[in-house]
Amino acid sequence: MDMIANWLGNTPDFAVPFALAALGLILTERAGVLALGAEGLMLVGALAGIGAQLAYGTPGVSLLLAMAAASVVSLLFALMVIVLRINQVIAGLALVFFCQGLTGLLGTLLEWTNKPVRGLGAIELWPLSELPLIGKVFVQNPLVFLTPLIFLAVVWLLTRTTTGLRLRAVGENPQAADAAGISVLGYRLVAILAGSALIGLAGGYISVLSTKLWIADMTGGRGWIAVALVIFARWSPWKALAGALLFGCIEALIPQLAAAGIRLPQYFVLMTPYAVTLAVMIWVASGKQVSGSQPGALGVPFIREERR
Amino acid sequence: MSTLNAIQLTGVSKSFDGFMALAQADFTAKWGEVHALLGENGAGKSSLMNIAAGLYAPESGSLFIDDNPVRLSGPRDASRYRIGMVHQHFKLVKPFSVAENILLGLPEQPGNAVRGSHRQRLRALEARIGEKAAELGFAIDPCQATESLSVAEQQRVEILKVLLAGARILILDEPTAVLTDQEAERLLETVRSFARQGAAVILVTHKMSDVKRFADRVTVMRGGRTIQTLDPQSVSIAELVRLTVGESATTHAHQPGTPGEERLRVRGLRSPEVGGHRVLNGIDLSLRAGEIYGIAGVGGNGQSELANALMGLPEPTEGDIELIGFGDLRRASSEQRRALRIACIPADRYGTALAGELSVAENFGVGQIHGGRYGSFFRLRRKRLEEDAAAAIAGFDVQGVRSLKQKAALLSGGNAQKLVIAREFSREPQLVLVHSPSRGLDVRATAAVHGRLRTARDAGAAVLVISEDLDEVLALADRIGVMNAGRIVAEFPHPADRQAIGKAMVTHE
Amino acid sequence: MNDRLRPVMLEQAVQDARKPRRPLLARRYALEIRQQLAWYWQASIIGLALLVGLGLSAAILVAAGVPAGELLNEFVVLTVFDLQSLKAVLFQASPMILVGLAGCMAFRARFWNLGLEGQMIWGAIGATAISLFQIGPEALRLPLMFGAAVVCGLAWAVAPVLLKLRLSVNEIISTLMLNYLALNFLLHLLYGSWKDPRSSFPYSPQFQPFERLPDVLDGISAAVPLAVVVALLALWFLGLSRAGLYLRFVDANPRVAGAVGVPVRRMIVATVLLSGAMAGIAGFLVTAGQEGRLTQSFYQGYGFSGILIAFLARNNPIAALVVALLMAMLFVAGRSLQVFYQIPFSMVQLIQAILVICVASSDFFIRHRIRRVQGGES
Repeated sequence: MDMIANWLGNTPDFAVPFALAALGLILTERAGVLALGAEGLMLVGALAGIGAQLAYGTPGVSLLLAMAAASVVSLLFALMVIVLRINQVIAGLALVFFCQGLTGLLGTLLEWTNKPVRGLGAIELWPLSELPLIGKVFVQNPLVFLTPLIFLAVVWLLTRTTTGLRLRAVGENPQAADAAGISVLGYRLVAILAGSALIGLAGGYISVLSTKLWIADMTGGRGWIAVALVIFARWSPWKALAGALLFGCIEALIPQLAAAGIRLPQYFVLMTPYAVTLAVMIWVASGKQVSGSQPGALGVPFIREERR
Repeated sequence: MSTLNAIQLTGVSKSFDGFMALAQADFTAKWGEVHALLGENGAGKSSLMNIAAGLYAPESGSLFIDDNPVRLSGPRDASRYRIGMVHQHFKLVKPFSVAENILLGLPEQPGNAVRGSHRQRLRALEARIGEKAAELGFAIDPCQATESLSVAEQQRVEILKVLLAGARILILDEPTAVLTDQEAERLLETVRSFARQGAAVILVTHKMSDVKRFADRVTVMRGGRTIQTLDPQSVSIAELVRLTVGESATTHAHQPGTPGEERLRVRGLRSPEVGGHRVLNGIDLSLRAGEIYGIAGVGGNGQSELANALMGLPEPTEGDIELIGFGDLRRASSEQRRALRIACIPADRYGTALAGELSVAENFGVGQIHGGRYGSFFRLRRKRLEEDAAAAIAGFDVQGVRSLKQKAALLSGGNAQKLVIAREFSREPQLVLVHSPSRGLDVRATAAVHGRLRTARDAGAAVLVISEDLDEVLALADRIGVMNAGRIVAEFPHPADRQAIGKAMVTHE
Repeated sequence: MNDRLRPVMLEQAVQDARKPRRPLLARRYALEIRQQLAWYWQASIIGLALLVGLGLSAAILVAAGVPAGELLNEFVVLTVFDLQSLKAVLFQASPMILVGLAGCMAFRARFWNLGLEGQMIWGAIGATAISLFQIGPEALRLPLMFGAAVVCGLAWAVAPVLLKLRLSVNEIISTLMLNYLALNFLLHLLYGSWKDPRSSFPYSPQFQPFERLPDVLDGISAAVPLAVVVALLALWFLGLSRAGLYLRFVDANPRVAGAVGVPVRRMIVATVLLSGAMAGIAGFLVTAGQEGRLTQSFYQGYGFSGILIAFLARNNPIAALVVALLMAMLFVAGRSLQVFYQIPFSMVQLIQAILVICVASSDFFIRHRIRRVQGGES
């Protein structure tokens, strides 16, 4: 009983990074930019968050700086895909490797590795927190409670505003958007910056609020899982949130199993998030083909004077 | 018609990667007139109008609106000057509703500055769309998704879009190409009355009849230059043809073939049902050796799907496609198809026939490589391949090949098509499947391509030509099937009555 | 109905359109796609990009604390002109060449094989298993290990390629996930049953002398000629055989390839499996050549290096040999920086990423032309 209560209680904490990263990816990809760089940008956010936390010790500021740092680094990606029109797969991979190298280097040179920081205290959502079994779900740090609100805001932006309509038009059919006088490149740039900020926040969450320290490559493939999550959520924020909860559940279960004294080969247990990602991708792919929800121009660079 | 100039372009030049699309073109349209811009494919009509609409930047030349020089830095500027263009390939965001699409193009001008939330703006716009549509006699539901609209309806949305954005200079790029005769007539009536109210309408077209019937003036373009502007009532169609083509085009008289035994039989060919609708809905046809069977019809009635199914491209179908003496043609691997000497000339040249990034020689040689002519799997006999390629290029008159290692993408449309034919015909075909063979080709290249198809037929091949160009079908076919809503609705032996075919093309059951 | 919503009146509109307006800023430059550029221009553009990338890297190294005067020494003099280091570079280059070729192969089939590390790990596990369980006579041990590495590396590539072809599962994600699975399995072995009983470190027992790659020439390991032979085979496959022409069509346009009679699926499967096999061989070279045992981090840096080498070499096997040699120099220099200046090895990855970004960016100038144009007014 206790184990299940703990498990459920820990799930949101593990789900939030997936959710925020997936949301950032959706925002970018709805504008037609294939964003494979999430893994790298999360690392940048995580390192910047820890750096700020070590310097100022204010988690709010640290998270904001994590967002800003990821946005700044994503300018490099924007330069590659928007201005220079590099193949977006190559640009995304290069960004991941660049960020891995950069954060590994800075983390060591600045001696930020393995230094614990103080995170953020938990808030109890009384009276829900008194509920049996699921009470612990409502004792979380503030950002957990903020996450659904961020989702609401992004969904509202995408579906209920003219700006969102234009952004989606840029991702679906940039030629049409251009002929309608919308700045395709401008919208894509903003989408990259804003999406990367969310991805950076996801990284900052992991380092500042979750593990409370920095280790090189600490995101351990979560950025890639988020990329997969967006594919099987068919670019829908709410489905991505549900998927994030699923992965949160799985990750939260791992320490619970160990704590409960259930003896399983440790490294096989650690494989589960990756194996589940693969399994879900295969399951979704072998089901009924739901096409159409993928942005029509995802990954296609835009040039006006192309002769067809 | 007033005498005031609405829009004037002078000395406009534009080139694409070394190819001169426009050379010192001049064009003037006045308020209150329908001005036709006439020319062959590739004459530069669309490029010139894309410059007028702010999409392309010219290398030289000037643009005047109301005799004032202006510069356009993009479509938004053009919209500010009340220039609106309906492109040949519609610029609609498919999953969006009609109202959402129109909202995208609405400039933020005092007249359009609708306050309130996004929803309120959409509601208000839907009402305006309703009014405007009623005014023009269009039946459009503003809440419908544009992807579920027919081509004619999508075009109406495009027209509503530019008019609601306040356009007074309306450019229509090949508007009748995708419409039935009746739809085209209604459209041209509508735009004429729009011009009569004082606007300027520019009609980009290659159809002489549209020009004769609806245009007040016509400017003829050829090879990137504007040749002449004249009154369409004062010239004959023959004269207009001479101006657009530049030489007296000899239209080939049809020469009948001598049909032999049956070679291909299609029975009950259907696509899977999607939303209660089948793109291919029971195609029956029979093709004999030594004849050309033409499939006519308005585009989008299942021609592409039929072509894909026959040419072995991915296309789910049920029913029979039987190659006599072999069996189900869909079962044949692409290597077997080669061995069976089936030649395919698809419509999308660089999408399915040629790899533009690879060399001319490679594009030629890949057609015969399976048979082992160029060595075993472990060895490629490049020298022999290049010799064969050189001989075929000479034999099929492919021009513009500076070197065999040159990228195929650098060939012009006509020469690329000749290269495809050279490859496909390199082993005397027994079955030739052709889709829109002269799309984008000039008169001379078209004649050459048609000649090749006739030669293949005379050598005993069974030839199937699918084309949306009725003139092409009439010029080639010994028998004509009319495709409408996914089936062959009528068959006509040669000589066929053009009117009857036209009627079968547009009649709906 | 709101007043503002009324359709704009006709006369008003015509008047509006006639009002003279301030000329707007015209675009002065236009971007176009360029079909062809002479090879020497292409080469100079790429060369320039590499120089820019190296310049940036040098600046970062200096900022990280390497004396500017020592850079040339560390990267060129001490790696190429010193016999011992040159041997180290050649030694390091052999697995590099193999992962680079593996990358070239997969990319030719339009398959983003990011699973090179996983395939390498499995190759190494396969080879180690032969040694650990003492399968086969001593004389055949090395060939058996080689064979096991080939089979295991190839097997680890089967799932992603079939999933891509059958279900269109994105291979970038699937190969990456398989890397994490392979890595955890490796750790499971090294912390479990395969741990060397004679020490507490997580690595397998030392290979027997006859299970290690011998030196062929004065301290040059057999790994080097082996890598060169595989490179020549790859060159023949991609350049001289019919398969090479088929693959060029698959690479250029799979739809065209299918339509003109190339067995697209078979070519993709075969090429990706070969790619996995080569990565497996790379794993064998590192374990049986360099380390002499299975360790927990032997694969690090090779996955990205393979992709980078294939990308910089434009999927050309001969160019891959050269680029792999340069990457090996970078690795060797990176290790000595680690020792002498306490610069983390991440620096090597950062430099690699910068080089990729620079060269990828240079592609823009090859594929596009920027032209001066003028607006409507002359």
